[in-house]
Amino acid sequence: MAVNLFWYGCNMTRHAEIIRLSERLLRCVGTAAEPVGGPGACCGSPKESEPRISEAMAGRTMQGFAARGATKVLTWCPSCHMNLEDFMAPVSGAAFTHAHLCEALHEGREALRPLMVKPVPARVLLDAHAGFNDRAEVNRLIPDLLRLVPGVEVLEHPYRGASYMCFGLAGVPGALEDHKARLLDAARETGADTIVTIFHSCHRELVGLERTHGLRVLNWVHLLAGGAGWDWADDYKAWRNADDPLAAMGAARVAAAGEEAVRKLAVPELARPR
Amino acid sequence: MVSLSALREAEAARMDAACIRCGACFTACPMVPLSAAKDADPVGAVVGVLELLHGGAGDAASRAWTAACTRTGTCNAACPAGVDPRLMLRLAKWRANETGALPKRDARDAMARAKVFARLGMSEEEQARWL
Repeated sequence: MAVNLFWYGCNMTRHAEIIRLSERLLRCVGTAAEPVGGPGACCGSPKESEPRISEAMAGRTMQGFAARGATKVLTWCPSCHMNLEDFMAPVSGAAFTHAHLCEALHEGREALRPLMVKPVPARVLLDAHAGFNDRAEVNRLIPDLLRLVPGVEVLEHPYRGASYMCFGLAGVPGALEDHKARLLDAARETGADTIVTIFHSCHRELVGLERTHGLRVLNWVHLLAGGAGWDWADDYKAWRNADDPLAAMGAARVAAAGEEAVRKLAVPELARPR
Repeated sequence: MVSLSALREAEAARMDAACIRCGACFTACPMVPLSAAKDADPVGAVVGVLELLHGGAGDAASRAWTAACTRTGTCNAACPAGVDPRLMLRLAKWRANETGALPKRDARDAMARAKVFARLGMSEEEQARWL
């Protein structure tokens, strides 16, 4: 059976609510798509230093898409999107078309427009990066979508961060700090009260600004959901900005996820300096 | 269809032939000022990256630049020869990781961490359906 897939990538598992909301938004524009991601549907990017492992992971993902009869794959992650175009499709062949989520939602924006009924007062500055916009025009399409939300004022600023999302900058000493400083300068210059992230790694890196600088940090999908009046909660942000991430998660959730693994793998990321 | 290694080799050969060693990609890169290559000769850095691309050791500046590449893509806009320097640096990094010219990224826990967050944030039904 032919299906559309919403390929959210592997590190988006931190942001289940964005997957949930994206799936719902896609249904609203008439492009229902099944979410797929996590380590079992990886583009190989995390193992890029080991090309043979990376190729095997990417190949398995492409086989999975073929087995499900994918006719259209909608991406979230820019690493996945670029790997699909640069390596995965040329190596494995692809019997499906692909586009970024924001392209599909923008194409269906007239279906979204009547849903945007709840005002979300916000003066927003987009955390725009230079590196992916030539593959999908995220820096144009996402502001267009945000303008559908009543109460949202999208502020213009010429600053574009290096890399294609904050993840790349985090690996170069000083680069992420430099980006944050310039983004904060841009927020001050424009009078923004809200930083809007495009990608998951940017959200992961920037949500701490709520605590350190008093700026609201939302993802663009959160804002669209807010405009539609849908309920959602940004658990990752709550955990990241909590004094005690384990307490913020709650004992039941920690137990269900495996306390030892949570302490070893999740807490160090959540408790790192903001 | 083609193997990834054959694709990489073909791209490396194309880039080597197309590159005019002008250094415009290096000059346009916003990561250079943040790296140890910031005072390097642009042409020398490009020549070094091409060495890395073919399995050589490159020089300190080319290794530093390659390591600092975050795929911003301003190099592609600056390149007058259609090389696709963004991809060139990416392939050079892969090759340098294989030869040991650059250390490998430690991603041992990346997938395990992604799974833990999935268990923390997704319902059991969502995990069954989405992962």
